[in-house]
Amino acid sequence: MNIPRVLNKKNRVLLSELTKTDFKLRYQGSVLGYLWALLRPLMMFAILYVVFAKLLRFGSDIPHYPVYLLAGTTMWSFFTECTSQGIQAMVTRGDLIRKISFPKYIVVVSATLTAVINMLINLVVVIIFALINGVEPSWSWLLVPLSLIELYTLSLGIAFLLGAINVKYRDITSIWDVLTQALFYAVPIIYPISMVIESSMLAAKVILLNPIAQAIQDIRYNLITPETVTTWNFINNTFLQILPIIFIILILLFAAFYFRKKSKFFAEEI
Amino acid sequence: MKHRKLGIRKEILTDSDIAISVSNLSKSFQLPTEKAFGLKQALFNRLRGVKGFKEQKVLSNISFTVKKGEFLGIVGRNGSGKSTLLKTLAGIYYPENGEIIIDGNLIPFIELGVGFNPELTGRENVYLNGALLGFSRKEMDAMYNEIWEFAELKEFQDQKLKNYSSGMQVRLAFSIAIRAQGDILLLDEVLAVGDAAFQKKCEDYFESLHGNQTVILVTHSMENITKFCDRAILIENGKIILNGDPKKVAKAYKNLWS
Repeated sequence: MNIPRVLNKKNRVLLSELTKTDFKLRYQGSVLGYLWALLRPLMMFAILYVVFAKLLRFGSDIPHYPVYLLAGTTMWSFFTECTSQGIQAMVTRGDLIRKISFPKYIVVVSATLTAVINMLINLVVVIIFALINGVEPSWSWLLVPLSLIELYTLSLGIAFLLGAINVKYRDITSIWDVLTQALFYAVPIIYPISMVIESSMLAAKVILLNPIAQAIQDIRYNLITPETVTTWNFINNTFLQILPIIFIILILLFAAFYFRKKSKFFAEEI
Repeated sequence: MKHRKLGIRKEILTDSDIAISVSNLSKSFQLPTEKAFGLKQALFNRLRGVKGFKEQKVLSNISFTVKKGEFLGIVGRNGSGKSTLLKTLAGIYYPENGEIIIDGNLIPFIELGVGFNPELTGRENVYLNGALLGFSRKEMDAMYNEIWEFAELKEFQDQKLKNYSSGMQVRLAFSIAIRAQGDILLLDEVLAVGDAAFQKKCEDYFESLHGNQTVILVTHSMENITKFCDRAILIENGKIILNGDPKKVAKAYKNLWS
């Protein structure tokens, strides 16, 4: 697999057809169809909002907290959807892998692109809610795509790495399910990071070194309110600040290397 | 996993009259001995020093060549290694040892209708299957009508595939498959599709390939071997035991059971 062949015409056509198929099939046979791409995260948000913002009174110190919460849950859903679909892609597309010869990464990328489409739709909803909520449009919005790319890169790295292992050891799917549940609480999505800072500075710093937390806080900072605590304004060591990004790059490089090595045997192992 | 040194498979373009050259090709699979799927079992096996799989030699030291324009048949019992050979030629499996050199553009049909999805319409499936065969949307648009006419299923094109009978599905798949233009075609048991009238059409298609196209055909039908093939290979236990005249090979194949 040399570079010019990676995205030749044939592979591009295959990628786009598989993505379209994935997207079409996702909501096949449901009455509301594509609307579920919007409804699911909105309902999730409604539940979290009632429990955490209204009942537990979290986030009273953060302006536009409902939108702040929605942006967090949207990005979190993107991350979990992207990784779980990506990890399972090879197994769900096993029939193709066993019967035709094509670059296997296409299967993973097409599965994650469906999550990207869903996320972009939801991002529009977040922006609409933000405007309704009185958030002023700002130039900093233009920085949001950077964080989205960062989050997608991380998801892709995890999907390639764990997806390759999952071909042989299907336990990975279940392990990742549990891990994401745990990770959800390690990222300041439903609780404001200020709550952690009150009890432990160190814990807050560790939390913000997580690339997912860093990306989500950056999106909130640029999109909703500059009062958001981010890795950049909370940690003052330059090396530590860029650590999450180094981590993401390393994961992707290692995952690509590992996936490429293992993908030769997917057809016989799946 | 231990490091596996791999053989070579490469596609080139030259003026030589050899389309495919296979030398000393070997392939084995690691078959799990007990339930080795799952991390727990893998850990147990590692701790107890059990390998968890056994090597099954599927192809050993296979060598043959196919000339350009030749129609080659491959026969053998179930489990003799025919399909593994075809899949290795197609690039789905990696050769473990040996060398495969392919001169030209190779189009494999290991199975008809790869990627067909019952929840999609006939139309959507045609485009999806076409993409898997390497056709662009534009190329598919150009041959779309021909495909449905050959399949004789035009009135069903907007029905979901799950409402097609299995015969109809295969007919549609076959009609897409034969549009593929390549220098070398690999066909695995795709001849027996549809009813008598459709089979006649398929046979005419194979007749038209004869002499114009390099074809490798894997089949259990000795009738097709003697009718279409210029040469045939008999495989038994992963080894070539006869390579030559189709009639002789067909006879030897029948003798395997006596």
